[in-house]
Amino acid sequence: MLKTISKIAGATAGLAMLATTALSNPYKEYEGTTLVVNFPAHPHYNAVMQILPEFTKETGIEVEVDQLPYLKMRERQTLELAQDEGDYDLIAYVVFSKADYVYADQLENLARYFMNPKLADPSYDASDLIDGYVYNIGFAGGNKGYLEGKTGSLFGVPYGSETSVLGYRTDIFEKHGLKVPETYDELLETACKIPELEPGMGGLSSRAASGHHASHAFLLHLAPLGGRVFDDNWNPIVNNDAGVKAANALKQIVDCGPEGASSFGFGEALGSFLNGDTAMFLDTTVVAGQINDPSKSKVVGKVGWAMHPMGTRRGSQTGGFGIGIPKNAENKEAAFLLMQWLTSKQGDKLVALAGGNPSRFSTHADADVNAKFPHMATFGEALKYADPDWRPIIPVWGKINADIGTTLSKVLTEDLDIKEALDGVAERTKAVMEEAGYYTWQ
Amino acid sequence: MNNASINRLAPFVFLAPAAIIMLIALLYPLLYMVYGSFREWDPSQTIGETEFVGFKNYITLLNDPSFHESLGVTLKFAFAVVSIEMLLGVGLALLLDRNIRGISILRTMFILPMMIAPVVVGLMWRYMYHPTVGTFNRFLKSMGFEGVDWLGQHALMSIIIADIWQWTPFIFILTLAALQSLPKSTLEAARIDGATGWQQIIYIKIPLMMPVLIVTCLLRLIDAFKVLEVILVMTEGGPGLSTEILALRISRTATEFRELGVAAAMSNYLLILLLIFTLSMIAYNKYVENRAARLRAAKEGDA
Repeated sequence: MLKTISKIAGATAGLAMLATTALSNPYKEYEGTTLVVNFPAHPHYNAVMQILPEFTKETGIEVEVDQLPYLKMRERQTLELAQDEGDYDLIAYVVFSKADYVYADQLENLARYFMNPKLADPSYDASDLIDGYVYNIGFAGGNKGYLEGKTGSLFGVPYGSETSVLGYRTDIFEKHGLKVPETYDELLETACKIPELEPGMGGLSSRAASGHHASHAFLLHLAPLGGRVFDDNWNPIVNNDAGVKAANALKQIVDCGPEGASSFGFGEALGSFLNGDTAMFLDTTVVAGQINDPSKSKVVGKVGWAMHPMGTRRGSQTGGFGIGIPKNAENKEAAFLLMQWLTSKQGDKLVALAGGNPSRFSTHADADVNAKFPHMATFGEALKYADPDWRPIIPVWGKINADIGTTLSKVLTEDLDIKEALDGVAERTKAVMEEAGYYTWQ
Repeated sequence: MNNASINRLAPFVFLAPAAIIMLIALLYPLLYMVYGSFREWDPSQTIGETEFVGFKNYITLLNDPSFHESLGVTLKFAFAVVSIEMLLGVGLALLLDRNIRGISILRTMFILPMMIAPVVVGLMWRYMYHPTVGTFNRFLKSMGFEGVDWLGQHALMSIIIADIWQWTPFIFILTLAALQSLPKSTLEAARIDGATGWQQIIYIKIPLMMPVLIVTCLLRLIDAFKVLEVILVMTEGGPGLSTEILALRISRTATEFRELGVAAAMSNYLLILLLIFTLSMIAYNKYVENRAARLRAAKEGDA
């Protein structure tokens, strides 16, 4: 009898709890809403597509996704965001779009959503989000306009962000008794030793093609070697010793790289590593999934991961995407709920298990995620040194980036003198900054 | 209104719809671009929010070494491809203008490259030029030669080859059509007078085809100045700026540098350049025709 009573009591309590949950369902008001979101065609967002049905099941909010190649996406967003009423409720934006969108007042400041008790989930735990990513991708108005600082605030949340790690061929390194490079000197030495040890194989495959690719590769070495594009007063210092060192490192890497490396874009650089033509790959974490996919890679199970080597300091890149709510969105509150759900601990773990890039420290340390992707622990470690200032995110960056990239491409292919080339970049950058008004207060 | 004035008005009424469509579809975007080129215009702004800067964008470009380099590359590329394509296309047409077995299949095969989408052409050539797995270098290596750094050291030459491959058929097909419509009597008369094959080509066929050749050349030149996709896919303008032709620089200025005003000004420079070419070709054509007419008149006068 007692048993029966306790069962009934238990059941009643359970039902009561269910009823309370139902009553306090924060999503209730938005049930049946259809959100239109714009995501890039990118491995992380392909994983996101897999977990979206879970969101709809849990909340009753439908999501319609417009997935575009990421450079196309930026063009479309530029047009959409300038309209009075936009089509998109939530957008994923490339990190360097942050400056443009925020400056043009096209993204919602997230403060009024995070302070709304009906919308903000108390268990969200924002401190678990990776600092470098948050400041690099979501934050604007702080120091230098794009970094952490007392005057800044949040306009987006990192989602599909990435840092740099060193991938290396365990079989080749073991065969020749090579040490995994920890410093830049070791990295450059190993990169040039490999073609001697393994004829026909390149040391490290890097991007080097004219424009964005060459610039990206150069900046990747600039931060750890102690350099910056600008000093604290926006004077270009890309041509100082650290800059010359970084350009030299890039040149050495390309010279000791696979054949034709000077015209490699990201696709070719990755392709040559996947094809087994090079022994090392120093670029984004986003490729980890493809390296272990037998349909795309000839080096499955032969790749180890290490931290981005150290120069005078540690400094791996920060990049990728963030998600934000356009000012002209129709369903801003529901969009916030989706954004919060995707970047919550639960959502981040789900997307990591589906093959995406997690944005939280806890996900990198999660046992299930690590069991499925053993490299996640190294990636988590690398994130502690993710440098939000490795590349300035200012509205005129596109032009400077292109100039750095084409000039370095000339260094790589036309044997232009490095110091002279970088002096030219600094001079032209100074003119661009002057025109954009960065020296108004000097 | 009397009948006469209605009759006078009739052609204008019939022309009006076409004229209005032309105005909207052709002139409006063009004027919009000209208007935009005088403004400092970020793509995040609507044109109403932009600031008028006069000729600043045009002057900036005149002092911009990258623009000069890009213009140089465009001129080199356009003249190289058009002259080689003209030579090859006309040569091929002269060769294939005869009745041999299977000629129609051959002709169809020759014009195939023209029908392939530019992006596909770009990708195809990019893979063929690939330093290690590309067709060309594998062939060279199998013959015992060193591989060539096609898209690195010799990028401009490589894109010129690809363009010649794709667009020679265009000249071929137009020249062939012109050849086949030449008056048979003139050629016959020449043959009877004992003209050799070469003489027929140089003194009869080519002069008679000249108006068609000039138009063909002009069309190709305009196209060559505007080519974008193939180069974008193959080299993205690199290495350095060595293959960054104007169309590519315009597109990068608009999307990457986010300077729509400067991009519009650059487009206008390109437009002016092409207008000069077109007008001078038309003028030359007119001059040749007038001279021929004068000669004919003089001859008739003599007779």
